This record gives sequence, C-alpha cells and structure tokens, in this order.
Amino acid sequence: MSRRIAVTGLGAVSALGATAAANWQAVREGRCGITLHRFDGGPYAPEPVIIPAALAPEGFSAAAEARLGRKILGSVDRFAQLAVCAAYEALESAGLVDHEALAERTGVVLGHGQGGQETLEKSYERYFGLRSQRMHPATVPKIMVSGAVSAVAMQFGIHGPVFATSSACASSAHAIIQGAGLIHTGLADVAVVGGSEAIATPGCMSGWQAVQALAAQTCRPFSKDRDGMAMAEGGAVLVLEDYAHAEARGAEILGEFLGGGMSSDAGHITQPSLAGTSAAMARAARAAGLLDDEQVLISAHGTGTPLNDRNEAASIHAVFGERARSHPVIATKSAHGHLIGGSAALQAVIALHALREGAAPPVLNFNAPDPECDIDLVVGQLRPITARRALVNAFAFGGLNASLAFAA
Amino acid sequence: MKVTEAQLLDMIAEEAIIDRATLKREATLGDLGISSLDVITLLFELEEKFGVVIEEGDMPAMTTLGEMVDYLMGRINAEAA
Repeated sequence: MSRRIAVTGLGAVSALGATAAANWQAVREGRCGITLHRFDGGPYAPEPVIIPAALAPEGFSAAAEARLGRKILGSVDRFAQLAVCAAYEALESAGLVDHEALAERTGVVLGHGQGGQETLEKSYERYFGLRSQRMHPATVPKIMVSGAVSAVAMQFGIHGPVFATSSACASSAHAIIQGAGLIHTGLADVAVVGGSEAIATPGCMSGWQAVQALAAQTCRPFSKDRDGMAMAEGGAVLVLEDYAHAEARGAEILGEFLGGGMSSDAGHITQPSLAGTSAAMARAARAAGLLDDEQVLISAHGTGTPLNDRNEAASIHAVFGERARSHPVIATKSAHGHLIGGSAALQAVIALHALREGAAPPVLNFNAPDPECDIDLVVGQLRPITARRALVNAFAFGGLNASLAFAA
Repeated sequence: MKVTEAQLLDMIAEEAIIDRATLKREATLGDLGISSLDVITLLFELEEKFGVVIEEGDMPAMTTLGEMVDYLMGRINAEAA
C-alpha cells in the first residue's frame, strides 16, 4: 500500500438507532434491537408468519429529509433511502457536504445483497396478483442494485467512480475494499463506502425461513443453543479519504483503514469452508501487519447459525494459532441483527467506536459456551480492551469472504 | 369517473415529489423538474384510478404544467362523459 487511508466520517441506521453514535451507545449498553415481527404477504400469500427481525426505526430519514428534501429520498426504494441517510450522516460528520472535493475526485461504492425488494414485491403483487395492465414504471429504477449508489451520487453531487458491489452477506466488506482501492490507485481522494439492505419483506423473509437460516426467537452468536440468524434492515457508511488529503483540509481522523483480505471458498453455496474464511482473515491480518499484536479486537461475522460460528471460531485459531485466545471477539449481530449487505459496514462503524473508547461490547442473548467455539468471547458486560487494531469479518453465502482491518 | 384539476395537481405533486404549492399553471415542466419518468408514472396511476389508457407517445408536445393538466383532464373527462 502506497497511500494511507483515513476514516473521516461515519454514518449508520439500524434498529438500534438512526445515527452511528446511537448504534454504538446501544451496543455498549447491551440493548438488543431484535424483536418478533409479523410478516403479512397480503391476500395472495399464505398465512402471515411471525419471525424475529430488527427493523429500522420509524422516521429514520427525518433528519436527512429536513436538510435534503424528498425529491430523491422519496423516489427510491427503502434500501436506497437507508444508504442515502447513512451517507448523509457520514459526509456531514466528515465536513464534506457541499464540499468541492465531492465533485470529480470522490467515488461511491456500496454493497447490497439484493436491490429494491420492497418495490419488487409490491409491483409484483399489483401486476401478477391484482392483474394491473402494466408493471409500475418506477419498478426497474427502484429495484436495481445500483439504485442506492446512484441516489447517493445524485443527492450529493459526486461525479467520480460510482458502482455497487454484491456478494450477499459480505457485500459492504467488498465495497469498502474496492473503495479503498480507488484511493490506492489514485482514481479518487475520497470514497464513500459501506452498504445497506431492506429485505425484511414478506416474500424475502419467507425465503430465508425456507432455507432454515433464521432463529426462532433471537440471534445468539457462539452460544451453545444458537439456532440461526435474525434478519435486519439498515445501512452504514464510512468516508475513506487519502490520509494526506484529510490532513490538508484539517479533517478529524476517526481511524485508519489498514487493508482487507478476500477469498472464495469455491465450494458450497451455503456451507462455509475453513480454508476460505481463514484465508480472508489471514490476508487482511497480513496486509495490516497485525498478526503479532498483543491484542486484536475481532468483530466476528457471528451470525448465530451453528455452521458459521463453529467455522469462524476455527478460523480464528487457524489464523492466530496459540495466540487465538488472546483476542477479544465481539458479535454485534446479536444486537443489530444481520443487515446482509450492510452488516460489515455497520460492524466496522462499531469496531472503530470500540477501539476509540477502548471497550468491547458484549455478545447478547448468550446462554452457554460451546466447546466447539473456543474463543475469548466478550459476554456479560462492556469489557475494557487494549487493542488498537481490529479485524471485521464477513463470510457470505456462496463462499465469498472478506475481512477488514482498521486502526483507531 | 371525472377528474378535477385539484385532484390532478395532487397526483402530480405526489408522483413527481414536488411541493404542491409550487405547481402553478404557467410553470414549465422543466422548471418544475418533471421528468419523462414522472409523466409515465403519472399516466400509470391515472390509468389505475380512472381506467383511461393514455400513452406518453400519443401526447402532444407541451411546455407548461397548465397545458399538461388541460390535456389530461380533457382525455379523462371525455372518456368519463
């Protein structure tokens, strides 16, 4: 890496709150945003289902709408609204809204597992169910996966490289690495990176239920009695910036992106592989040069599924060997649920807060240790840490893995 | 079912996400930021609500909001008559 990359802005929206600070405050206090919700697919669907989920709070877009208006926010799908709101907070905190740097030398890279699922389901109900004569004309522009990055670029006048990444649950991790790449290669000075997701819709929730990935009550990462993940909606955005560029304009530097590691299992479409996940972690750790750190904060992918958590614990051992138990492991999906494409970015936002405060938030809903997950899991209460650097894991369906390294 | 000018303006404000108070008859579609996609979406909603099929390609060239409102009211209310 030739150019150092600063983090100069953070934004987040999830069930835990509509700002990055609110999300951090909730996890440090051990508040859980996952509750049971009723998903009703309407007159053309089977009986409604009740499933745990973590939904974005009512009025999450109010602050952004007050400043930006509704012209763009009102015309895009919910997943893009979440992205614009998180991007607004991140750019505002970076001091970059209406800044000249946003013109040619800024990029946007956001990750999403899917696009406008809510729009798709409503349009399909109207067309196939109610037999409307035509499909709603806004369907295509609202469902495209790149709809969110386009909305962010239009909203803030960003004319540099703008594109979306999609790698299921690792989408925003890949987005962050690609955004950093724009700065490394000199294609941009600033990269607005992260991701969002809004697939807690009746049709999609039924799909996740069918694949038997969802918990019955809540998400319990690494707990012996864990039984699955909890779907969530939300978005999180980081402003990455060439370090010298940030210093020259006097920006507050919130942290540093040290590098990322990516790998593909090339194995099974849903089952993780130890070789694949540990390769991504090892590549990120080597890129950051943190393998010999006395303590590294590990923000686990930690979905709460039996397969992921066992494999992830083994990956931590594969990467750190005898020192595996030296590193505190957090699993914040127990609080904010699984934002799919937005998860890694939200975990990055939380990890940066944890490093800055020197405190690791506890894994929630934890009942009993699993002998097959022999790691130093942070449970019970907020724990003081000495780690100055963190790894953030994202291991997706389809064997697409990415791990991110940050310092604060 | 007939449509009133007020109803039509409400729908234009909603579909194009424009402050209703700024919708003056003499304002141009360009100045109001009403795009082709906004017009197509409005026609879709009008079709759903009033049962009148209006193709964008059949519409005459028009510049102001007043011209569009008059045209759409004429088409819908002629079929409802």
